[in-house]
Amino acid sequence: MKRYLLIYRECIKVAFATASTYRLNFFLNSVIMLLGDILFPLVTILIYGSGAGFEGWTIYEVLLIQSVFTMSMAIADMSFHGIMWATMFAVREGNFEMVLLMPVDTMFLLMAKTFSIDGIGLLFGGIAIFIISLINLTAPTLIMWLQFVAMFVVGMMVMLGISLIMAATSFKWVGNSRIPEIFDSLRSFGKYPQSIFPKTVLIVSSYVLPVAMIGFFPAAALLGRGGYVMFYAILPCVLFMTLGILLYRSMVRLYQGVGG
Amino acid sequence: METIIKVDHLIKRYDTYKRGSSFKESVKTFFHREKIPVMAVNDISFVVGEGDIVGILGPNGAGKSTTIKMLTGTLYPTSGNIDVMGYNPTKNRKTYVQQIGAVFGQKSQLIWDIPPIDSFRMNKAIYDVSDQDYNERIEIMSKLFEVEDYMTRPTRVLSLGERMKCEFIMAMLHHPKVVFLDEPTIGLDVIAKQRIREFIREMNSRGTTFILTTHDLEDVEQLARNIVIINHGEKVFDDSIDNLKKVLGAKKIVQLVLGKPLTELYIPGTEIITRESELNITVSVDQDQISITDFMTELSKVCTFTDISIKEMPMETIITHIYQYKKEE
Amino acid sequence: MNYIRHQFNIMRAVALVTYKEWSAYRTHTMVSIFVGPVYFIVQYFIWTAAYGGKSEINGMSLTQMVTYFGASTLIGYLTMDFADWNLQMLIRTGKFLTFAMRPINHRFFAFSQKVGHRFLGLMFEFVPCYIIFTLLFGVNMVPKHLGWTLLSVALAFLMNFYVHYILGMTAFWFIQSSGIRRVFDLLAGVFSGVFIPLVFFPEAMQKFLFFLPFPYMSYVPAMVFTGGFKLGGVTMSIPLIVGLQGVAVVMVIGLCSLIYRASMRHFSGVGA
Repeated sequence: MKRYLLIYRECIKVAFATASTYRLNFFLNSVIMLLGDILFPLVTILIYGSGAGFEGWTIYEVLLIQSVFTMSMAIADMSFHGIMWATMFAVREGNFEMVLLMPVDTMFLLMAKTFSIDGIGLLFGGIAIFIISLINLTAPTLIMWLQFVAMFVVGMMVMLGISLIMAATSFKWVGNSRIPEIFDSLRSFGKYPQSIFPKTVLIVSSYVLPVAMIGFFPAAALLGRGGYVMFYAILPCVLFMTLGILLYRSMVRLYQGVGG
Repeated sequence: METIIKVDHLIKRYDTYKRGSSFKESVKTFFHREKIPVMAVNDISFVVGEGDIVGILGPNGAGKSTTIKMLTGTLYPTSGNIDVMGYNPTKNRKTYVQQIGAVFGQKSQLIWDIPPIDSFRMNKAIYDVSDQDYNERIEIMSKLFEVEDYMTRPTRVLSLGERMKCEFIMAMLHHPKVVFLDEPTIGLDVIAKQRIREFIREMNSRGTTFILTTHDLEDVEQLARNIVIINHGEKVFDDSIDNLKKVLGAKKIVQLVLGKPLTELYIPGTEIITRESELNITVSVDQDQISITDFMTELSKVCTFTDISIKEMPMETIITHIYQYKKEE
Repeated sequence: MNYIRHQFNIMRAVALVTYKEWSAYRTHTMVSIFVGPVYFIVQYFIWTAAYGGKSEINGMSLTQMVTYFGASTLIGYLTMDFADWNLQMLIRTGKFLTFAMRPINHRFFAFSQKVGHRFLGLMFEFVPCYIIFTLLFGVNMVPKHLGWTLLSVALAFLMNFYVHYILGMTAFWFIQSSGIRRVFDLLAGVFSGVFIPLVFFPEAMQKFLFFLPFPYMSYVPAMVFTGGFKLGGVTMSIPLIVGLQGVAVVMVIGLCSLIYRASMRHFSGVGA
């Protein structure tokens, strides 16, 4: 465990060193990501601004959901999202052996090596909207905060699952750089109050492809509006992550030639 | 010499699928694909002694890289056994690869945008090397390679030769007993090649066993003590370099550019192997029958030539010779 | 006449080659068949919820809104452009020189490429998504005025191309033009109306948008598709707004030609 933490620390150092080599580019990327962040709540703000809205949800409640979604995205971008690109790149260039040669877990190493600080702009943007929303809402109790943290962590598991499934598909579907768009589009179900969707969509977004856990459920916990559904959804989320891990591992084994 | 690697009836079979080119065929393959098995490595066995340098030779696509990949545990064999220092590479990958080192000539471990020294620290963490060992080894190896000056410059500004030296250091920081090299000198200039070879010899004299694949015969002549030659996935030769020389005979390949056309060359121990054109011919000279000096004297008597160069024997010719030798036995 | 026939032949040849070249990436293109409808569904639910019982918001009815998003997705497939990326790549790698040496105008070449590439978009993005929207989702995807819609889409096609080509030409002048392009993409994302119809913005801003290229790239054709146009508090007849779009396109083409000439002078002067 200590060794893995040390490796992770080295990888973060490398990420910073690389970013500082291309200072201007990094700065620009962060700023653009921060600005692009405005797009997230923009639609919501404009809808509420024109006198409409989602029934039963105030604008700050919706913004809270979207800020939580953004923070999840940012953390995932920084910590493990790179595994898909790294895998695709390594398989295409025939460099995957170099990762297999390392005496540590392959999945862990690829994630650690793709640690990126480019997402920091996104994270700050998310935190800013999160704070602004919270100021305008009733202060959550400690229990709600605890629930929020727990749900947020479970949401990260879903993100991890998605990243790994994408990475696993890139073994077979090498060179299709648009795979992430498929998951991006599905994820967008998570950033709105779930009550606007019909029952069938709800079942999918909560239990099958549990994207509701990425933005909606943690925010709902903080608002005290999660209900029991939220707790039922934890299990599918854990299963989803497990599925991602198993799928990725089996693809690595397939790559090594177990399946032929 | 104690055995450190034992390879036993190693087989790697890939299944490729027949793909039609016409529309009709491609529709057909959509539903049913015809399997075509390809034997990348077909029943190869050999042993490597501790402290040895073994060269695995063969033309492109012979199965060298597949063999190395299986030896390093990154590819699983279809059948057969590999034993390296008592480890089975296909089991417990993590514990196994901790014990070995590898440099793949065309696959870099160094991180492009940062100095090699920072990449080294990454491997220090990954291989769990203590501070003391790390400093000591960096000190020794950077002196051997004379890389102290540019170790701290970003990798992308280094020359290929400089980068390769750093690749070696990176692969040996954890002091592996066995190191696998896949085409370690590919693309390097003569001087850089020489430095890499010196380094390998030096590390070998300190006890590291090396297994290298190459199609550069010079690498083998200067480094290896034992040779395994693979062709079409099968082992065709497995012996010492001295015995290889005996099989091949002491033959030299000489390329000539003639002053005027020549029909026959009557020099003992010499034969024309190819005629590229009227004035360009390639000749083989058997040094057991005639020394190079005598050959030159004779040559200048029978013909005029404007250019001459002495070449290494090409891989294909070596393999043909081995097959012939085996038949004669 | 001969000149036109020659140019047409060039365009056809370049478009065909581009089409074939990109056919190898069919599966890339076909990702849209999944992604487009998914985003559409999300939009559909968002707006259904936002309208609640209201008959209209900002002068748009729910049906019009749904058609608007369908149309803007489909029009996107027909007009999408990355001439800027191609051009800056040619300039940065020095390959632009190969065009300077051939008897062909690169802008015309790039335009022909886009024709070929968008034809692929028509086959593998537009048609499948159109079928999904109409048959599966039951959205009425028949434009109110077919002729005007086609004209407006064609103008948007030109607008997208010339604007992106201008962006690409910035690479002649700046070493690193990716920042400019990214900022533009961001602005285009917000102000072309892909995320939300422009009538939702503050009215002063809407008025200002008339003078920017963005609305003419997506918002105008999508609104013409729905059959009614409004921006900045002004309701315009369809022929009038399409005419205005035409004027905007002519202006951008003029600007593009000016910059192109300046760039060529710069290029021959500095080399690259």
